Amino acid sequence: MRRTFLSRLASALGPVWAVAAVLVVGFLIVLAISTDPVLAYRDLLFANFHSASNFALFLNRLMPLLLIGLGVILSFRAGVFNVGAEGQLYLGAVAATAAALALPDLPRPIGLCAALVSGMAAGGIYGWIPGALKVRLGVNEVVGTLMLNFIALLLTEYLVTHPLRDPVAYGAVSRVIPSSAWLAEIPDLPGATSGTIVAVLLAPIIWLVLFRTEWGAQLRAAGSNLRFAETVGVDAGRLIMVAMAISGGLAGLAGAFYALGIGHRFEQNFSPAFGLVGLTVALLARLHPIGLLATAAFYALILNGAAYMQIDTDVPRSLVGLLTGLLVLMMTVRPRRSALAGT
Amino acid sequence: MMWASQFLAPTLVQTTPILLAALGAMITSRANILNVAVEGMALVAAFTAIAVGQATDNAMLGFACAILAAIAMALLFGFVSIVLGADFIVAGLGLNILAAGGTLFLLEQVYQDPGGLRPDSFPEIWRVPEGSLDWLPVIGPAFERQSFIVLIALIAVPLSALFLYRTPLGYALRAVGEDESAAVAAGIHVARMKLIAVLISGLFAGLAGAQLAMDRLHFFLPDMTSGRGFIGLTAALFGAARPWPTGAAAFLFGAFGVAGDRLQLLQAPSQFVLMAPYLAALLALIFARWRAAVRGRPAPVERKAP
Repeated sequence: MRRTFLSRLASALGPVWAVAAVLVVGFLIVLAISTDPVLAYRDLLFANFHSASNFALFLNRLMPLLLIGLGVILSFRAGVFNVGAEGQLYLGAVAATAAALALPDLPRPIGLCAALVSGMAAGGIYGWIPGALKVRLGVNEVVGTLMLNFIALLLTEYLVTHPLRDPVAYGAVSRVIPSSAWLAEIPDLPGATSGTIVAVLLAPIIWLVLFRTEWGAQLRAAGSNLRFAETVGVDAGRLIMVAMAISGGLAGLAGAFYALGIGHRFEQNFSPAFGLVGLTVALLARLHPIGLLATAAFYALILNGAAYMQIDTDVPRSLVGLLTGLLVLMMTVRPRRSALAGT
Repeated sequence: MMWASQFLAPTLVQTTPILLAALGAMITSRANILNVAVEGMALVAAFTAIAVGQATDNAMLGFACAILAAIAMALLFGFVSIVLGADFIVAGLGLNILAAGGTLFLLEQVYQDPGGLRPDSFPEIWRVPEGSLDWLPVIGPAFERQSFIVLIALIAVPLSALFLYRTPLGYALRAVGEDESAAVAAGIHVARMKLIAVLISGLFAGLAGAQLAMDRLHFFLPDMTSGRGFIGLTAALFGAARPWPTGAAAFLFGAFGVAGDRLQLLQAPSQFVLMAPYLAALLALIFARWRAAVRGRPAPVERKAP
């Protein structure tokens, strides 16, 4: 009992060391380039809590990271290396926007639900495609999802500059969604979307599904040992496709929440690579839904904090991109054993 | 025949970075590595080419440093994945994020312009002189004014075929990809072979990035590789990591890019034009797998009447 607890603690501490190492490297860089390194780092980590509006922005960044991370966990647990979250997120956002703009006269709950469902469906279908291609034809899912990302981003750019375009606004943004389809804000936190609450609540639910249901056990069996799973009668191909569809649906939901709850329109550049960062936090949490709550919160913290750091000091916000690259590069380093062997 | 060379010339320009990235990905995939990192290596090379070329006003120095920078990135990738045992795809994605974040960081920190690096003047690289190939119909005019990197890329296809199929190193490399245990049993140093493959992919990615930045544009933009490394990787998969089919696939995707450009003359929205190579790469991959699935299907069993 004691030993299992200690080994669990050890596996939980691995990511903590990784994050600590990255923060130290980052501080050394800041020390080298900045005249006020302490202020830069204080902004990066703590400016999120300086005001209610800062905290609301932090929560808004947490939402997509959590939903995308949960989707990544599901697909990776099913043995699919899904790097297509960015495309699924964009399609979800644009589909939700299009639905809300096309149905402006529906009463509030119905219109909102229609928009959310369209977003989830668009993301889900876009996740199902590479899953089905992998299962049916053996098309490599890494390459498939990478190509689909580029295609999705160009497709939404077309939609937002042509049929959905706001003729009076500057830049690639859609018309504003009618307020009847807006997602509610969190009470007492102006600007913070309630989608974040849904995302946080989904984490334990996904944990339950993965680790406490037969479906979850079959899914993990399909991901960790495909031949064993098929020998004991699991329809692994079907499971993988369903997992990919749910994974895409979660990313699509994140996009829908973003459009309906935060931007109130579709903006072509709304995502600072949420897809890749969502993948990062999921891997950092060792594909565990509860651990994801911590890693996604950390990343939302520094993604948001970097903006304040750039305003207050001479340190550019792209420092976070640099550090993320180092983190992902070193994340799966395991001398002598490889946790992701075979993917 | 004017139209043929008018189509061939831009196809060569568009194909070259894809072809070079594809050859890099092909070599690593022969050593059983799915190399998504060619994208990031090429991006770093493009940045280095412009930064060094601007600072020294010497195109060849910029070119050389671009290659070296990409090989350095490849060395980092190889060290982390082969020596430290990180997952190749995760580490490759990490390298890509590091390349994108690192170049953006340098743009903001050193050049104070996150929008890109646009030197007022940039030294010219060597090109095929105008009029020197008049005697060759169609192909000649298409090659005039092309950069020397285009020629390197074309020669690299037969060279990599020679390397893979006619040299001891190539044999050992392919043995690693076919069956690692058998390769170990045959006395091949597997880790060393993989590292060599990664370094060669760095060389190719460096050439790809240098071509992208130095041939026509003479500037660097954040994420300017925009997936050409990934398209190259798809070409290598489509060509089943064989040099000639891989090269042909790269040409096909490059030609689709040019065909997309021509569509723009018909008032097609630019987004669909830009989509053409990605869509072509994805559809080609699906087609290749579909054909393999159809061919691999067991023949129908004829049932005899009881």
